[in-house]
Amino acid sequence: MKRLATLLALALPFAATAADYTVQPAASTLGFSDTFQGEAFNGHFGQWTAAISYDAANLATSKFDVEVALASVKTGDKDRDGALPGSDFFDIAKFPKAHFVSTGFHQSGALVIADGNLTLRGVTKPVSLNVTFKPQGKGATLDVTGTVKRLDFGVGGGDYADTSVIGADVKITAHLQLAPK
Amino acid sequence: MSLRSNDRQWGSVAKFFHWVIALAILGNGTFGLLMDLAQSPMQKINWLALHKSIGLTVLALVLLRVLWRLRDRRPQEEPAPRWQQWAARAVHGVLYVLIVALPLSGWWFNSVTGKPLQWFKLFNLPALAAKNDDLRHLAGTTHEYLFWFLLLVLVAHVGAALKHHVFDRDNVLRRMLPFGRPRNDATTRGESR
Repeated sequence: MKRLATLLALALPFAATAADYTVQPAASTLGFSDTFQGEAFNGHFGQWTAAISYDAANLATSKFDVEVALASVKTGDKDRDGALPGSDFFDIAKFPKAHFVSTGFHQSGALVIADGNLTLRGVTKPVSLNVTFKPQGKGATLDVTGTVKRLDFGVGGGDYADTSVIGADVKITAHLQLAPK
Repeated sequence: MSLRSNDRQWGSVAKFFHWVIALAILGNGTFGLLMDLAQSPMQKINWLALHKSIGLTVLALVLLRVLWRLRDRRPQEEPAPRWQQWAARAVHGVLYVLIVALPLSGWWFNSVTGKPLQWFKLFNLPALAAKNDDLRHLAGTTHEYLFWFLLLVLVAHVGAALKHHVFDRDNVLRRMLPFGRPRNDATTRGESR
């Protein structure tokens, strides 16, 4: 009985759920890049929230849940920023938010990959993201990269579907400064 | 007809540059003025991309044309009063300047609006100036008015060519026509200068 209690006591920390973090918005960015007429451009979202639970040693209980207010998009070009919220692109009147929820994490060599579902413009599809998590004191930095095929979600369909003008693959880049909850 | 020009007429290279640039500028200028007829934003994007590609082609052609002209011979001047010869040279000079300035001003306009510049979807060219919303309107107006000014000078150029052809019945126009042959009448040629 005593031995069992000791075992449990030893095992408990490992069975614990991953640590919860809060995002420090001022030091965090959620951006993307694509190409237009052969030239790369960068954009970012000003308003988003992320619930992050992460433990590199306990990926099974780790979880990302990110919600993005699509109206907060900025790409440094008036015409583009005017077009993106419209019905041809994000259609924020109908779908104001994008949502990513992780469904699981797996290790691929040195890389950690977050598998999840992205809901954008009313379409939900699996998306995988590369995760780089660096503990920093009690907090951490979390860098995430991934690729989203815009046409999977109908972003820039119809006339704008021509991927020789607007690139098919949108690269997602996020840098999160995390503080312990 | 030889590639090079001779005493009597322009060679086929000079003729090629003259007429291809003329057609490209008139066509592309008209096209540029009709941009607002595009049915959708994407069609306008594609039309503008085509307009820019043609304009860049004109710029490349006119640079080659100047290089060629510097090494080519020139037909002898047709007899004309000194002031007309001077006027012809002035009009030609202004036309060359405008043919270079027109695509360059478009490039500048594109640069200050911060748009990419791609040649027929094949490669991109750098911006001539930094993005600057304050210069957008000025650059656009400059680009358009250079075209109107070019049309004005063109009226003088075409008018003079037709005057030579119809009234003077000399070789000024014939020697530049794509398949034209100079008149074989020595009296219409005279001595130059």
